[in-house]
Amino acid sequence: MTLDAVTDRPAHEGSPERGLEPGPWDPPARRDLLVLNDVTKRYPNGREALRDVDLVIPEGDFVFLVGPSGAGKSTLMKLIIRDELATSGEVVLDGEDLARLPRRKVPRVRRKIGTVFQDYKLLPGKTVRENVAFALEVTGTPRGRIRPAVERALRHVGLTGQAEQFPRQLSGGEQQRTAIARALVHDPRLVIADEPTGNLDPLISWEIIQLLLRINELGVTVLMATHDADVVTALRKRVVALDEGRVIRDEIGGGYHRRG
Amino acid sequence: MIGFLAFSVSRAWQGFWRNAAMSLAATATMTLMLLLLAGFFIVQNGLLAGLAFVEQKVEVVADLRATATEADVADVRARIAALPEVREVTFVSKEEALRRYREARTAQGEEDHTRYVDDNPLRASLEVKLRDPADFGTVMDSLRADPAVERVKNITDLVNRVITVTDFLRTAGLAILAVIGAIVLFIIINTIRLAVVGRAEEIEIMRLVGASDAFIRWPFVFEGALVGLLGAAITLATIGAFADPLGAFMFDFFRVLPIRVGAIARDVSLLVLGSGVGLGVVGAWISVRTYLIR
Repeated sequence: MTLDAVTDRPAHEGSPERGLEPGPWDPPARRDLLVLNDVTKRYPNGREALRDVDLVIPEGDFVFLVGPSGAGKSTLMKLIIRDELATSGEVVLDGEDLARLPRRKVPRVRRKIGTVFQDYKLLPGKTVRENVAFALEVTGTPRGRIRPAVERALRHVGLTGQAEQFPRQLSGGEQQRTAIARALVHDPRLVIADEPTGNLDPLISWEIIQLLLRINELGVTVLMATHDADVVTALRKRVVALDEGRVIRDEIGGGYHRRG
Repeated sequence: MIGFLAFSVSRAWQGFWRNAAMSLAATATMTLMLLLLAGFFIVQNGLLAGLAFVEQKVEVVADLRATATEADVADVRARIAALPEVREVTFVSKEEALRRYREARTAQGEEDHTRYVDDNPLRASLEVKLRDPADFGTVMDSLRADPAVERVKNITDLVNRVITVTDFLRTAGLAILAVIGAIVLFIIINTIRLAVVGRAEEIEIMRLVGASDAFIRWPFVFEGALVGLLGAAITLATIGAFADPLGAFMFDFFRVLPIRVGAIARDVSLLVLGSGVGLGVVGAWISVRTYLIR
């Protein structure tokens, strides 16, 4: 990990929206995988969890989503997987406006996303292999294709040896790796991780982050909400900071806290 | 489609046994409820049979004139028998009437006063059994109009009282059955709902991972059907085992053979199976729905 000083520059320099032509040294234009356009989420009791949020995540990005509790990180995640609908504004995932999506198409869109949670959300009655396979079973994938995909995912996260164990027999880190394998097995475009290291000690947390970084290098976009200040500051990736529902910072190479 | 349903059935079977404690508790409740329902249904049937039996005993009795000829008698008999309200007409001759009288007196230990009389003072009579006791008025009028008839026993009060009681009992029986039915419905649906609530996390994960509503719903629906089927089977087996002692009890209690065992067996089986499977399915459907509508 290098600690080169990275200038504080806004994202997407050279993107056509800013009226600048991409130059020879700019990376090739990437599709916008996720676009939030002036999104506000107000709950029935009047609380505004998100206010006027603009966010664009191109394919291949690794984004940390930071902010204090109640800032709106989890709400943002819920909007992305369409567990909730925005009160106003648009949420566009891979070109599809989630608000316009009919109910029956929602599962299909959810399958483009892999989710990882703080509490792992594994099925206790299924083995590691079965938990990972489950994500493919629900899509109606034929049995013949499930097996190799599951083995591949387990190899990626390094759990081939524990494939027959049950979640209660695994450590926290292993359970989270199972969850990550499940999130990956159907080749998602986007992996959302909501405080994946919240229940893990620092060393294991680091391993999990490394795993997510490796996945990102393979081309999967990663959005990770976290409280882990050290990790965020050390990695110098793109940081989007929320506070009381608003985006107060969106910079590449940012630390957990605003510099200066 | 068939493949999907077959897959759902196999997942339902797995789900049932993976959550064995909950599933068996639900099945036990289902069984008890179905036994309750079947029990009341059988009692209701016995009651109706008993009431019908009593009503059939209502008959209009008409004394025939001593001067009536055989032709007259045959005439009135045929005419009355032809009435739609009439089930059966029985002719009781004077001799038969005398004999009955003597038998009755002897049985009661009373003196037989007819010994002191030369002629037979009793009249021949027609005993008319009705299809529906409520029609007694029509038949009475018809009999009175006939010249061969001397007198028709006025049973108006008696019949009205009988009808009042039987109507009340019929209505009460139905009302109680309806209440029992509602209780059974409520408890079964709630039991199934409880079982589904216990699987809330599993459903949540399925939704997150991108399972379609149908994929989530159908195994639960089949599990509900399975609980219903098992409950119904145990219920019917239990009733079958007790069928003989039950029949004897019904006979003693209602003084009638409770319909033909065949017919009621079929009705009870249909009721129990239909309710069990139906409520299991409906309960599962609406319970899963509450988790799907987001």
